[in-house]
Amino acid sequence: MSGNDMAASGGAGPATGPALGGRAGEAGQEQRVAAELRARVARQFGRSLHIRTLDTGSCAVCEQEIRLLAAPHYDLHRLGFFFTPAPRHADLLMVTGPMIRAFGVAARKTFDAMPGPKIVVATGACALGGVYPADAFTHGGVGEVLPVDVWIPGCPPSPLALLQGLLVAVDRLAEKVAGLTFIAGAQPGEVPE
Amino acid sequence: MPMWFARGLRRGIVTTRYPARPEPSAAGLPTPPAFDAQRIDAALADRLCELCPSRALRLVKGDGEAGGDVLVFDVGACTACGRCQEAAPGAVTASGEFELAATARGHLVKRIPLAEARP
Repeated sequence: MSGNDMAASGGAGPATGPALGGRAGEAGQEQRVAAELRARVARQFGRSLHIRTLDTGSCAVCEQEIRLLAAPHYDLHRLGFFFTPAPRHADLLMVTGPMIRAFGVAARKTFDAMPGPKIVVATGACALGGVYPADAFTHGGVGEVLPVDVWIPGCPPSPLALLQGLLVAVDRLAEKVAGLTFIAGAQPGEVPE
Repeated sequence: MPMWFARGLRRGIVTTRYPARPEPSAAGLPTPPAFDAQRIDAALADRLCELCPSRALRLVKGDGEAGGDVLVFDVGACTACGRCQEAAPGAVTASGEFELAATARGHLVKRIPLAEARP
């Protein structure tokens, strides 16, 4: 979660800022407080979460898959997720595309306009920094500009993968990929903390 | 009495949560590859890294526990295009995993220790 008061608890990239409290004794307490806060936010978002999608230069296939979420087969409204056209009404920012440089400021403004606590979800291989390396045209990934909380791989991620990602974002499903090895025939390992 | 209440009692819950049983339409999805470490040596891994259009594969020499080579697979960068599966059928297969959301970018970077090159 990357609410104003939760900037140190998660996410990556330069927007996250330095961690609070450098001493080791405070670190444990800080983590406990962060975990409590995360649980409270998850409870708050558990039944009603409004999503704003943001296209930062994607090929629009991710958007097609996101639109399919509202179709009867996937029907994300039954799970308490809704799309909103305004960032000021949004709890979750779903960002697609490799974050082209021309869009960096607009993306930051969108994020700033959202009320806290807020969640940022990077969607698709471009947004995760896979397809386009950082160059004169793109930042090379959403994480370079915004503090990302949940990463959804795929090119494009299928609606089911997006649904799982949203449920992971609000702590209603456990993350699965951390325990996968991608070695053929291997058993899933332990999920790291 | 509101009709929707009576109807709800009669029919029970008609929507479902996130699929509790495997979703049949998911079987046809392109998924990131899984690697058979015993059948991939440094030479083949080099070829796979060059093939990958989205820089999801990287070979790190001598980084394994016993000084072996490690293939670093970034699931987040993978577009499941299938080029590596075509280049090394049998050694690289579809993993079948599509529920890949991660709460940290590092969770998506996988290390695959490779077999020693045959002399």
